[in-house]
Amino acid sequence: MSIEITMPRLSDTMETGTIIKWEIAEGDVVSAGDVIADVETDKATMELQVFDDGTVARILVPEGQTTDVGTIIAILAEDDEDSTKVGTESGGASSAPESQTKATSSDTTSAPPASELEAPVPTREAPAPRSNGKMKVSPVARHLADEHSVDLRHVEGTGPGGRIIKRDILKAIDAGAETQAAVPPSSITPIEPVSVATPVKSRTAAMPLVPASMGSMLQEQIIPVSNIRQIIAKRLIESKTTVPHYQVTCAFDMDPLLEMRQQLNEQLVAQQVKLSVNDFLVKCCAVAMYEHPFFNASWEGEQIRIHGEINIGIAISLPPEKGGGLVVGVIRHADQKSLRAISSETRYLAEKARGKGLSLEEMSGSTFTISNLGMFGVEHFTAIINPPNSAILAVGAAIQKPVVKQGELVVGREMSATLSSDHRVIDGAMAAQYLASLRQYIENPASLLV
Amino acid sequence: MTTRTIEFREALREAMSEEMREDLRVFLIGEEVAQYNGAYKVSRGMLDEFGPKRVIDTPISESGFAGMSIGAAMMGLRPIVEFMSWSFSLVAADPILNNAPKMLYMSGGQFGCPIVFRGNDGAGGQLGSTHSWCVESMFANVPGLKMAIPFTPYDAKGLLKTAIRDDDPVFFLESERLLSIEGEVPEESYTVPFGQALIRRPGTDCTIVSFGRPLYFCLEAAKTLAQEGIECEVIDGRTIKPLDIDTIVASVRKTNYCVVVDQSWSFASVGSEIASQVHQHCFDDLDNHVMRVHNDDVPAPYAYNLEQEMLPNARKICEAVRAVTYNA
Repeated sequence: MSIEITMPRLSDTMETGTIIKWEIAEGDVVSAGDVIADVETDKATMELQVFDDGTVARILVPEGQTTDVGTIIAILAEDDEDSTKVGTESGGASSAPESQTKATSSDTTSAPPASELEAPVPTREAPAPRSNGKMKVSPVARHLADEHSVDLRHVEGTGPGGRIIKRDILKAIDAGAETQAAVPPSSITPIEPVSVATPVKSRTAAMPLVPASMGSMLQEQIIPVSNIRQIIAKRLIESKTTVPHYQVTCAFDMDPLLEMRQQLNEQLVAQQVKLSVNDFLVKCCAVAMYEHPFFNASWEGEQIRIHGEINIGIAISLPPEKGGGLVVGVIRHADQKSLRAISSETRYLAEKARGKGLSLEEMSGSTFTISNLGMFGVEHFTAIINPPNSAILAVGAAIQKPVVKQGELVVGREMSATLSSDHRVIDGAMAAQYLASLRQYIENPASLLV
Repeated sequence: MTTRTIEFREALREAMSEEMREDLRVFLIGEEVAQYNGAYKVSRGMLDEFGPKRVIDTPISESGFAGMSIGAAMMGLRPIVEFMSWSFSLVAADPILNNAPKMLYMSGGQFGCPIVFRGNDGAGGQLGSTHSWCVESMFANVPGLKMAIPFTPYDAKGLLKTAIRDDDPVFFLESERLLSIEGEVPEESYTVPFGQALIRRPGTDCTIVSFGRPLYFCLEAAKTLAQEGIECEVIDGRTIKPLDIDTIVASVRKTNYCVVVDQSWSFASVGSEIASQVHQHCFDDLDNHVMRVHNDDVPAPYAYNLEQEMLPNARKICEAVRAVTYNA
């Protein structure tokens, strides 16, 4: 059994303690009574003694870090244990669950469950994931492995003490290339590409059996988080955890709008105008604000601000080679712009976002956002509100469906859209009314032309 | 450019003679430099050409003539001080370490010290412990001086001319074992700038850095290792101060391995300094820590076999390269 060392209560009033200095390092052998750290309490700096014999397996709290009394600060391995395995088997302090399952071969009972360790984990100096943290890897080998996405845990180190060296990575890269080349093309072909145009079909199509060898083609890799992904993560967590979201979904008859779009695009082809469904929706959402100003508003704690401008944000996904992620391009005064202007501006923003990137100006000031996955054949989804907006519309594809029109069953085209709203600003009935207005515009699109 | 083949000692002599012809402030002083034509015949014929006022014999009194020459340098002359061996410079430690390199600083810029100290450095001649000093590690530790350590007759001449023209004290480390080697040297005047290392042998698998005489062992080792499939890049640092770390770093970034060969003792040495700088600049490029080949940590033995074993040699260098590249 491994032994957990917790932050002790060194004075009656002590609630937290700061590790001023560790007197031990991972791998050190300690005996009961040894001083292992200097701990600063609310009263004084005191020596922390260890009560057991063992080998220091893990130090979980770095010097300078303050933790609550009772928090596990280090783990000792007893004599019969391999100290390099203790603690890491639990997934370590911060490693992801999947690395935990992979790293573990058999015995997971001796170490505390990951959930217990997660609480005291210092965020300031979170240890690297297990795969990189405890192994001996030469710097250039680590560098090479990163570059070629080689999972170090699958590499056998041939250097002294099992150190992974450049040669081992080069071998792994070679072996990887061979494995990939060895997969015969015929074993890949059974997988049909998922058609984006016909989502219904692909959804119901039988899943082809994936050959076992395909599994090895997906290698675990560590991807550093880019700035944009940091921002996405921060903003969306803030939104999802602090904004009381709820969703209202509505289906729209798209026949009139699609017919008009086709007509306009045919007539304006010479002028290189090619309106998308989304261009219409931007206009619809914008003009619907006149009747429903709370959808063009922000919650400001003590007050709700209804904006004087109607600026519609459009979620634009970025290509993987640009690092992925998404940005919101903003069509300012969308209510006052023609479909033609909205169309060309949207195209400009999307191209620029995927090219050299949008300026701060082009990304800021939205009052409402539309996220459209219709082009991917998505039927329905919900979106997270883009603060400080109060609502976001998640738009699916216009899909052929059996519909009843004037008492007859006919083939119609239907589009589903889901409105996520901030309940602090918008009540359910208001959301329903907004969608009803949208329906008016979408199903009678001629009004958008004036 | 026409060249001819001359000895290392002739290259040194040409450098001094050419500079003395060009600049009347330059003079040579030391034990037996004049009438005996130099203990190692470096200054042969110079007394005849320049006369006893510019080629000056001294008593066995390093502290005296080194200190006197520093005074001359402070007053505007440009002395070349020959130590028969750098081992003998130790008795002149106060003037050469405590005065010359600090003069410009301590006088607030009033007195510079454009002086060259030159002589034989290093063991290898069965001269015993006290006469086999390699002073580079000890002296390179001092701020305010420059240090050059030539490997070929070409560099011996080019670097010495640069040293004589330099306004700072230059410690010029020659090797008794190299004085008779021959090499191609241009007829025309030229100089070799300080702070520019040279790749003596290009390679892809391991960088070997050295200075002066041990470079011969490095090249010998590189030849052996090439037969084993390890292509070494051998870098001649040429000057220890200033050190051309850029060339070393560029090479290590390519090879991922580095061995430093330094004929001084390992503790706090030129070798340890270079290893430290390589670790600093190439941390992410290294596949193993830098390894060093030095003199063994004993005084130089007199016995020939022991002396050869104590010094860096090709076998030790091969072993280090194999170890650092995980081919041991």
